[in-house]
Amino acid sequence: MRRQLVKGIDLNRAVHSPIRGAQLKSVFTFLAGTLVLCAGEQMRAQGNYEIQVYGADTVAPRSTMLELHSNFTAEGHPALDGVAATNHAEHETVEITQGINDWSEVGFYIFTSEQSGLGMQWVGDHIRPRVRVPEKWRWPVGVSLSMEFGYQRAKFSPDTWTWEIRPIVDKTVGRWYFAVNPALERTWHGPDVNQGIGLAPAAKISYDFTKKITGGFEYYADYGSITSISSLRNQQQQLFPAIDLNVSPDWEINFGAGIGPTAATDHWIVKAIVGRHFNWGHKG
Amino acid sequence: MPRESGTSRRAFLRDGALMAGALVLGQSKVWTQVFHGPFGEAVKRIDPDCTLTIAEIEWELSPKKKIRTSTYNGQVPGPLLRVTEGKPVAIDIANKLDHPEIVHWHGQWIPVAADGSMEEGSPMLPAEGRSLVQFVPKPAGLHWYHTHAMAHRDLKRGLYSGQFGVLLVEGRENPGAYDQEQFIVLHDWEPYYVASGDGSLMVNYVCGSVNGKMLGHDEPIKVRESERVLFHILNASATEPHWLTLPGHRFQVLALDGAPVATQARVELLRLGPAERITALVEMNAPGVWVLGETRRDYRDAGMGTVIEYAGRTGKPEEPRDFKLAWDYKTFGDTTPKNFTPDVTIPLVFTSKFKGHGALDQWMINSKSYPDVSLPALRQGLRHRLIFENRSTDDHPVHLHRHNFELVSIRGTPVSGVRKDVVIVEAGATVEADLVANNPGNTLFHCHQQDHMDSGFMALFKYA
Repeated sequence: MRRQLVKGIDLNRAVHSPIRGAQLKSVFTFLAGTLVLCAGEQMRAQGNYEIQVYGADTVAPRSTMLELHSNFTAEGHPALDGVAATNHAEHETVEITQGINDWSEVGFYIFTSEQSGLGMQWVGDHIRPRVRVPEKWRWPVGVSLSMEFGYQRAKFSPDTWTWEIRPIVDKTVGRWYFAVNPALERTWHGPDVNQGIGLAPAAKISYDFTKKITGGFEYYADYGSITSISSLRNQQQQLFPAIDLNVSPDWEINFGAGIGPTAATDHWIVKAIVGRHFNWGHKG
Repeated sequence: MPRESGTSRRAFLRDGALMAGALVLGQSKVWTQVFHGPFGEAVKRIDPDCTLTIAEIEWELSPKKKIRTSTYNGQVPGPLLRVTEGKPVAIDIANKLDHPEIVHWHGQWIPVAADGSMEEGSPMLPAEGRSLVQFVPKPAGLHWYHTHAMAHRDLKRGLYSGQFGVLLVEGRENPGAYDQEQFIVLHDWEPYYVASGDGSLMVNYVCGSVNGKMLGHDEPIKVRESERVLFHILNASATEPHWLTLPGHRFQVLALDGAPVATQARVELLRLGPAERITALVEMNAPGVWVLGETRRDYRDAGMGTVIEYAGRTGKPEEPRDFKLAWDYKTFGDTTPKNFTPDVTIPLVFTSKFKGHGALDQWMINSKSYPDVSLPALRQGLRHRLIFENRSTDDHPVHLHRHNFELVSIRGTPVSGVRKDVVIVEAGATVEADLVANNPGNTLFHCHQQDHMDSGFMALFKYA
């Protein structure tokens, strides 16, 4: 769910506990199979409730990451067909991610929205298991695979039940960081249920200006169905200049401002992520 | 002598006895010859007491874990070398690798030419080369020999490899009455880079071993009730400190880095930074089957442990419980610390420079990285107070070649009676140590973490 610029591990914790390779490989196989089963439908993403390019790292075992995603749409869309407006909407998302072992985690989301006249509204919840290629496999790039499933109220998202599979590849070279997330989405309930798999890639490039300050660009898009790519006008595309502050292994801070140039995209969004990492059971 | 793979504990000890008998003789052409007496003077070449052959092999850490690594004489650890203090030894070293190597005699007060440090001026052993190293072992105690080659980003070289072994220098005085002695050599294997807690790359490992075997895959150490077992423990890891316990037992620490301690305190938990050694006596008074190993479970799961089995006892070994990880060198010092007055004071400030989250930090001593670090010359016979001030967020096991030093304060608290050649200077801490300059010649000082010394954490002392 995140790029952890600093892993936030207790250095006394051994990362090299044995991996059950066969078990992990079967998880990858299962997820790949699920991907195939998803063919034929399109879904919408969880919208601008959580705006983040995922890194390949997972939260360490016996630890929890608690994050607050705050996104304000400065210039968005008005209410339409019973769906709440995004314009001037403040979305607050609580994300809780628990590390399972050194190659998997589970994340849980609580989405909320606040708009003038509506007050704070519960939007929905998602759950997101994720597995990664352990670092001890010593691959030249970080690789993980996340699967996200959940519900959002129709008032905020016409597609209520959705599923997303997100391959994640990243690489850090010196001061440079690169990540790509070619996410595939599917709607299980809602108007897009017959539109097949949608392609919603995201990418990030950043540079470590100092040990504590990293700056770069994040790109988010939704191209529509993979079998029928939408016209440029109907695609969602956003570019966020963004800053990561690496103030402590225990904290994650990211903020940025996004521009959406296409008609289908919210035009201006300001986002911030604040995360706190908690270790459980470490001694010494 | 060379083996293709796995050597048992019994074989490891037997090889040591063979070396003590000084029988292996290299007959190949000698390419490089280094002959030096105790004061560096040239001496006549003598026949070698043993041969160390550096070559890459496949090593079996466990039936399911085989690795390719370079070793001495085809075994991990290398052969145990038992020598006598003051009695000259000659060791024939053959390098079968395709790159230069060098063997460092860690803890020995010997001339530069034999010490095994390119930075001091010891000759490298060329690829496919051969040399004879000759020196007079001193001081007595538990020491070791290992490659002193740089690894940089090649995680198969340097101390990431299997090029290490125990050098036990026997003195006139016995370290204590004991019924049997055991050698415990720790090492970590299959290194890889991960993001560290403070933001830069660090090295982590897939697995670990004791005497070249993962926990459960070596013969148990067999003991009898009431026996006194003398453990010689060496941490030969390239970068990792290790914490050892033996449930139900206490370690009476006799010596640190081969030097007898002022107070032979009994402790439940041992900490060994990379290159540190502990000689400790254990009274076997808790019959059962136990794991002597890392107190941290994840490290044991990765192989860092061995089984202690009392006679007549069987069953699943009992593992160490979690401990609060705490260690204080002062525990082994004089009850009332002595006060020494230094002749010279030398501050050594450790800092790092961030090079990116995907890079290793650059390490510096007094704001410079090797080889640009400039230190004052040592003056023979004088007491030099080295002030190690660690301004970084990493602990550093710093090592001084060809000498040892006596700790005089840790975080401002006085100590005496603890002599070391490696000391962990914890993050943010200051440690003071007195060096009496008594072994002229270039003397390398460095962090014993392979990745740190490869990234500039070295400096060369010269004698005035």
